[in-house]
Amino acid sequence: MAYLDINNVVKRYEGHTALDGVSMQVEEGCIYGLLGPNGAGKSTLIRIINRILAADEGTVLLNGKPMTDADISHIGYLPEERGLYKKMKVGDHIVYLGRLKGMTKADAISSMRWWLNRFDLKEWENKKVENLSKGMQQKVQFIGTVIHRPPLLIFDEPFSGFDPVNAEQLKVEILGLRDQGSTILFSTHNMSSVEEVCQQITLLNHAKVVLTGSVDEIKQQHKKNIIAVKTSDSIEEKPNMFTLLPPAKPQDKDTLIKLAPGVEVRDAIAWLNEHYNLTGFTEVRPSMHEIFIETVKSYNTEQQ
Amino acid sequence: MNKLRLIIAREYMSIVGRKSFILMTLGMPLLFIVIGAVPMLLGYLNDKGSPTQLISVVDETGRYGSALHSDEMYTYVIEEGMTATSAHEFYQKSDDGIDAMVIIPRDVDSTGMVNILSKGTITPALVTTVRSAIADTIESAHLASMGIPNLQEMVDKAHVDVDVRSIKLSEEGEQESSTDIAMGLGLFLSLFTYMFVLMYGAMIMNSVIEEKTNRIVEVVVSSCRPFQLMLGKIIGVGLVGLTQMAIWIVMLVVVTMVAGSILGISGMASGSITPETMAAAGAAAEQGFMDGFMRELYSINFAPIILYFILYFLGGYLLYSSLFAGLGSAVDQPSDSSQFMTPVMLIMIIALYAGIFCMENPSGPTAVWCSIIPFTSPVVMMVRIPFGVPAWQMLLSLVLLFGTALGITWIAARIYRRGILHYGKKASFKDLFKWIK
Repeated sequence: MAYLDINNVVKRYEGHTALDGVSMQVEEGCIYGLLGPNGAGKSTLIRIINRILAADEGTVLLNGKPMTDADISHIGYLPEERGLYKKMKVGDHIVYLGRLKGMTKADAISSMRWWLNRFDLKEWENKKVENLSKGMQQKVQFIGTVIHRPPLLIFDEPFSGFDPVNAEQLKVEILGLRDQGSTILFSTHNMSSVEEVCQQITLLNHAKVVLTGSVDEIKQQHKKNIIAVKTSDSIEEKPNMFTLLPPAKPQDKDTLIKLAPGVEVRDAIAWLNEHYNLTGFTEVRPSMHEIFIETVKSYNTEQQ
Repeated sequence: MNKLRLIIAREYMSIVGRKSFILMTLGMPLLFIVIGAVPMLLGYLNDKGSPTQLISVVDETGRYGSALHSDEMYTYVIEEGMTATSAHEFYQKSDDGIDAMVIIPRDVDSTGMVNILSKGTITPALVTTVRSAIADTIESAHLASMGIPNLQEMVDKAHVDVDVRSIKLSEEGEQESSTDIAMGLGLFLSLFTYMFVLMYGAMIMNSVIEEKTNRIVEVVVSSCRPFQLMLGKIIGVGLVGLTQMAIWIVMLVVVTMVAGSILGISGMASGSITPETMAAAGAAAEQGFMDGFMRELYSINFAPIILYFILYFLGGYLLYSSLFAGLGSAVDQPSDSSQFMTPVMLIMIIALYAGIFCMENPSGPTAVWCSIIPFTSPVVMMVRIPFGVPAWQMLLSLVLLFGTALGITWIAARIYRRGILHYGKKASFKDLFKWIK
């Protein structure tokens, strides 16, 4: 049984449908990527899970039970558009967010101190939010999201606005929370972060699920039988076995070959090894970035 | 409910803790004092600073010129043996030494006309002084010319100030009703409601827009219901308003007491200088006035006024503040809010004018209807209450007010729920109606 079970959710606005029968199962303790181009319905779905919006049809089950308002204390939500009360003190702000999620004052304060310490923000506790740099504000916002140690965390574009060093720290924290048992739903455009942290993904496009599954499986399904081979001399095309592809980057020394339908990788390698001085080869798996673009594009062409 | 309390506390502290709040709370009374004191001070300095003017008086009658007594501002010099015609020539040729000439023609008794000649502008103060002095003298002269002994005293005796005591007949018997104080109190309470709703309604609106611009709102509504957030704001800001009012009342009481004690001492000091008769007369007059004032004050039944004031104040505040919150949620920045503010402001101004006009006739049809229609009733009813309002009107008005206030809060909550997450394209009234559905 999935921890978060979204069934056939429909959300209509005046003039358009934001979610059209979306289903998605998130297993407990995994990092789940919710992908999709702008306007695909990601934010609407996240808001429905957060009970900011109500679905017109369909159900959202948490731990097998329909979600109620009481469940929102089990969720930590970091929206894409960040914001804090500029005039509030950092410590007060975090405590306020924690208490809104149902923490006691004492718990919220000790947890706030622990997290500020962890992010090297200890001396900022009594400063106003407006005095912090943007990166520090982002960290404060992250702390505000996780302070009540929610079992379900929802991050909408968590890495936007972070420099690489802080993004790395954030990634470590997110993986740490996963290891402590939190389930994480992760909405993003940043495909490299998807490959690094997500186990499962769902790709939304035009209000519908167009692709879902584990990252490994999806990559396996989308592989194009392309091999990068290293040879000392240049390769000629052999139409019944493989065709040559232009290099992905101009500076690449490897030759890309695409196998003809029905040709096994090992047969092609054996043949190459026989005819050329083969020094190495790797199977090229498509990146999530490519799969994303390909799926969305082909879906959009089908619609027209 | 715990969340609501948290939201109220945050909202309250966020405003009360601000420097601008402290400045405004302390500064507003100061501003009023300055606004009141500056013109007086300037007028005083103006009078004090200007040199005494020399006024020539040509009195063809030879009887009335002496009525003009020189003072700090004007020195009157009676020019003997001059006529109106020669005065014109004389003044034309004279140097700048004479600031103005007062010419009392021979036929002043019948025409009542006195001329003032001047090369510069004539101050209104001079005209007033001359007019009243000459008029009084002519009046006495006329009385004297009738040849009736002691006529002046008889006229003085005949002159009476009429004091009207209004008595209202009700089932409990005769009650002395109090018009002046009741009117004052009614107007004060209705102005208070108007000011409060306007000031703090705008504050709520800004707070809503600020949260939206900040983007914090999405985090907050993922932890509580939008309605809780809106209600928390309304209550929080309302408490800020009450705090501010309480501080102002305390300041007023302290200032009055301090001023009272200072003036009291100086009053006694001046009392010892003036002749005893004058002091006694003054005290007696004051006594009479105070008696009347206290009598009126006691005749007002404060308990229902306060009770109704609280009810109307709460209803009016809830109605307008939720309206402001709902409308505030539909815009991204304060400058966009005017299209929604204008209709609300219009209604409020109508309410205020209706309230002021209703003072003249608190039982007239306009007054009655405006005190029943919920958007104007909190302001207008406060003017009517001290005069007594039939029970059915009161009941109808209160039921309508609270019904509408709750209805508007419900509608505002629906707009708010959608509005706070609406960015970009400016929402129109059409959008708002869609959101309500």
